[in-house]
Amino acid sequence: MSARPDRLRESPLGPLLLAALVALPVLLGVAYALLAALGVLGAGSSDTASLDRFATVLGARSTWRALGWTLYVAAAATALATAGAALVAMGFASNTRLDRSARALATLPLPVPHLVAAATALLVLAQSGLLARLLFAAGLLDAPADMPPLVYDGAGVGLIVALAWKELPFLAVVAIALRQDIDPALDETARTLGAAPRYVRRRVMWPLLWRGMLPAVIAVFVFALGSYETAVLLAPVDPAPLAVLTMERFADPALARRGDAYVLALVTLALAGVAVAAHEWARARWSATTVSRA
Amino acid sequence: MRANIPPRRARPAWTWAALVALTLSTLLPLAVLVLQSLATSWRWPLLLPDDYTAAGWRTVASGALGRSALTSALLAMATALASVLAALPIGRSLATLRAPWRHVAAALVFLPVAAPPIALGAGLQVATLQLGVAGSAVGVWLAHCVPAIGYAALLFMGVFGARGRDDEEAARSLGASGLQVWWHVLLPSVRGVIVEALAICFLISWAQVALTLLIGGGAVRALPIEVLALVRAGQDRDAAVGALLLVVPAMLALSALRFGARRTDALPA
Repeated sequence: MSARPDRLRESPLGPLLLAALVALPVLLGVAYALLAALGVLGAGSSDTASLDRFATVLGARSTWRALGWTLYVAAAATALATAGAALVAMGFASNTRLDRSARALATLPLPVPHLVAAATALLVLAQSGLLARLLFAAGLLDAPADMPPLVYDGAGVGLIVALAWKELPFLAVVAIALRQDIDPALDETARTLGAAPRYVRRRVMWPLLWRGMLPAVIAVFVFALGSYETAVLLAPVDPAPLAVLTMERFADPALARRGDAYVLALVTLALAGVAVAAHEWARARWSATTVSRA
Repeated sequence: MRANIPPRRARPAWTWAALVALTLSTLLPLAVLVLQSLATSWRWPLLLPDDYTAAGWRTVASGALGRSALTSALLAMATALASVLAALPIGRSLATLRAPWRHVAAALVFLPVAAPPIALGAGLQVATLQLGVAGSAVGVWLAHCVPAIGYAALLFMGVFGARGRDDEEAARSLGASGLQVWWHVLLPSVRGVIVEALAICFLISWAQVALTLLIGGGAVRALPIEVLALVRAGQDRDAAVGALLLVVPAMLALSALRFGARRTDALPA
């Protein structure tokens, strides 16, 4: 497309200011959180700024345990949801009624809120939940106590499963759209050249799909990282996930400790900031257009 | 594996297993929720409840769940309207940017979408305290608009960027005013995306927990707050009723989205 003189004269300043305006609440939030973390604003504040709260929170083993555990859960849930979404997109790609139903099934829970996913996970995965009842009916279990704990467990199985279940439909929507945009000629060319279907899936389809999915995968990782309601319902008390730890500090009866919440919020925001940068990088590098026929 | 080409219609065996897993994992949790919302009691190790009652559903209209659902619906509608109205001109303006500014702007607008609500709420809470709207529905509404505007602006930025400006410039050269361009050229061309943005912004507010808790401070009883309290209190039947109340409008909003998308081909089917 040829650039027109009037477009060249347009300054980027106005639109950039608007974009900054949209981001302003976050930037303000960071500023407030920073001031509160420094102890000059909010609960338990004083006149002088100090790094004491940073030192306390960042020096505590519990903070790093929470951080590590939260990253582990978010990564595991994202990996599971990504794999599931890619399988749906690749396994049910045709226009047959069966494949279309499978795609519709996979995307059906898209609008289910995180809270509902977590509440349902409790009903299904708890020690006396539906899964345990099914295992009992199959003669594999004698009592609820024999059921391995899947919620409030240290391995975070219930939380990972609930998050993956919640995020799979969104990633499936993205993966299905990408799969349908992949030029059928690519598939046919690879096969004509003698590639086995499995080889085509692994070396042609999957890399194309993965590049297109990456921005959405990063977004899902950030959502999983920061989700409070799933964590508070399904995670163990120790190690506490970052979001739960932050909320607990906020409501801490000891006013002096409430400021710790702002340090934790800043840690979470920093993680999200890194992910946003990665997201834009991925979008700029592998925009969906490189996958499509265009 | 030998490198010969199988008949194209052959369905790999794993896809049958995947189909069964997909059906169970999608429908079973929703079925459990429906059964639980109607159960008088559901003793171990029964696969179905002992007995059924509609009591949980009957008291919705008169009880806390009904009130909080109304609060949530009003909040979500106000959030959707305000966010889409704000995001339309913003997205339109951002769409004129070129790389590298385009990426800078997209990252800025993505920030409120990606910022974990609990971390975002921490800062916003101090801000709403200073504005005097903490603990009020107005404060919660403003807070919900933050991620919603970001999401809608990203959406409009993408669609306005993709559609080009030729017809708009043609209208302008024929003497159309700014408002006329919006009304006769821009808005009709993105009608489907507006429906999509309204639905998504509605859902962002409708499902919001952390922002409502932090800014509302327990005083604003939106539906998710009520449901979270019921789940934590172990009141399984009422919690299930509340959870289904949360799911149904969400599914309807998604249907509106798909309907809008079909009419305009804005989304891949």
